Amino acid sequence: MTQTINPYGKVALYPGCALDGLGKAYDVTLQLVTRDLGLEYEKIDDYNCCGALEVKNVNTMAGLLLPARNLSLARQMGANAVMSACPGCHYSLSRTQYFMTRYPKLREKVNVYLEKMGEKQYDMQLLMIHAVEFIYNTVGPEGVKARVKRPLAGLKVAPYYGCLYTRPKAYTLTGYMKLKDDPERPVFMDELLTALGAEVVPFEAKTICCGGPHVYSDLPTSLHLEARILKEAKRNGAELLITDCPLGHVAIETNMNKIAEKYGKDLRMPLVYFTQLLAFAFGHSPEEALLTANLSDPMSVLKRYL
Amino acid sequence: MPIPNLEKPIIKGLIQKDKVIVDGVELDGTWNAFMIERTQTGYDQSVWDEIANTIEGATISLCWQCGTCTSGCTMREYDPNYSPRRFIDLARKGDKQALIELQDSLWRCVSCQKCTHRCPKGVLVEEVVHSIHNYLLKHGLVKRDPGTIFDELFLETVMKNGGRISELLLGGASAKAGFVTMSLRDLITMMGPLMKSGLIKDLMKPNRVKNWDRIKPVLEEAMKEEVVPE
Repeated sequence: MTQTINPYGKVALYPGCALDGLGKAYDVTLQLVTRDLGLEYEKIDDYNCCGALEVKNVNTMAGLLLPARNLSLARQMGANAVMSACPGCHYSLSRTQYFMTRYPKLREKVNVYLEKMGEKQYDMQLLMIHAVEFIYNTVGPEGVKARVKRPLAGLKVAPYYGCLYTRPKAYTLTGYMKLKDDPERPVFMDELLTALGAEVVPFEAKTICCGGPHVYSDLPTSLHLEARILKEAKRNGAELLITDCPLGHVAIETNMNKIAEKYGKDLRMPLVYFTQLLAFAFGHSPEEALLTANLSDPMSVLKRYL
Repeated sequence: MPIPNLEKPIIKGLIQKDKVIVDGVELDGTWNAFMIERTQTGYDQSVWDEIANTIEGATISLCWQCGTCTSGCTMREYDPNYSPRRFIDLARKGDKQALIELQDSLWRCVSCQKCTHRCPKGVLVEEVVHSIHNYLLKHGLVKRDPGTIFDELFLETVMKNGGRISELLLGGASAKAGFVTMSLRDLITMMGPLMKSGLIKDLMKPNRVKNWDRIKPVLEEAMKEEVVPE
């Protein structure tokens, strides 16, 4: 048994709407995997939407208050860090922290509204983290490796981090401390996947955009961007695209038919949340890891490890 | 020496006369060519002020026009008119007309944050670009674009549905608003695994914030507040 170091203190999970929606598999497997690894976190139960990348464009105050309420809830639970599994939520919460730090009068205003809502003032004492960072900085690749029951030797994977896992550094603090990933070429997920025995292929589209915020309003651009991610993964021989972003995951999966039609059938590729692959390698059945819930049928690739 | 014919079209607004006499001295050759005044006027200096007075746009003044934002921009690849550096330049000059002409590009930012991340001067470029676009929307200078319609739809859905959102709710609302979202084939591909894994039950379950009735009016009140960077 490897010793677990937790640099974060008490961790609260901000699930965000995605994890209670189409990203349910991510939520369930994150719980499964962290329990296996002996990691603890508490879920923020009465959370509200973080406003994603949309609300902030319509109304400044709403774009700050929605995330601020979640931060206040986390502090009321006594948390020292808020973990998001969705980089979009991670971004929104970090953005609010940034603006509330930068503008003291604005911070007072936000706190007045929080009190009107019946919540406590937010005292700015939280560190925003992402699920990948949480696993990487606690048990780390060694801890993950020690837990593997079903080594995925020979499985070629491409880890897709998405835009907001590292960017922008002003909000997410990437590159500023050891606990944070490299801002331009993140590696934390790569190392976790390598620990499973899988082969991480060279993948330069790790952090390019999937067009997520405009997936409804500017579909052609989104398809083009998503096709580029899949092309890059295919070109390097990946069998699975591993995601840590429910926005990107859902966008690519639901657009797969359209991408195949427009950019070629050979771009079809199954997508898996990184926690699903961890759960599978830890010996859980495909049903437990909810691999059957993915629209892109990852079991067609993974069945050879059963 | 007269101005070479080749160079004439480069110099716009050139006035050349056959015979010019100034103070009794006849000018010839190059000396009788004049350029009409080309100082651009009619710019609205208040554009910069107004944008710099929002928390999103406050960093517009830090920009030194290096173009790092634009050279890595995701959107530029698909739309050659998309240039955060130029948007900032035009907004600071107050060239509203040029910005209005760019309105089909301005809204297309996908918020990938490369620009904000890489800016050597600490300009929050993505926020500034949205702030410029919001300025034009606020003053009714540009038409409502699909991105803005979707953003408003998103906020509306959050407010209506108890502070949370789901892909089903949002998909339904965007289909109603006329965004083509899914074909029948997509729906079939989607429903299969959801039914098989039993996730469909979770998706259909109503999911609201407990005391939303108390929170919602506070949010609505807060949304009326003018936010300044201080």
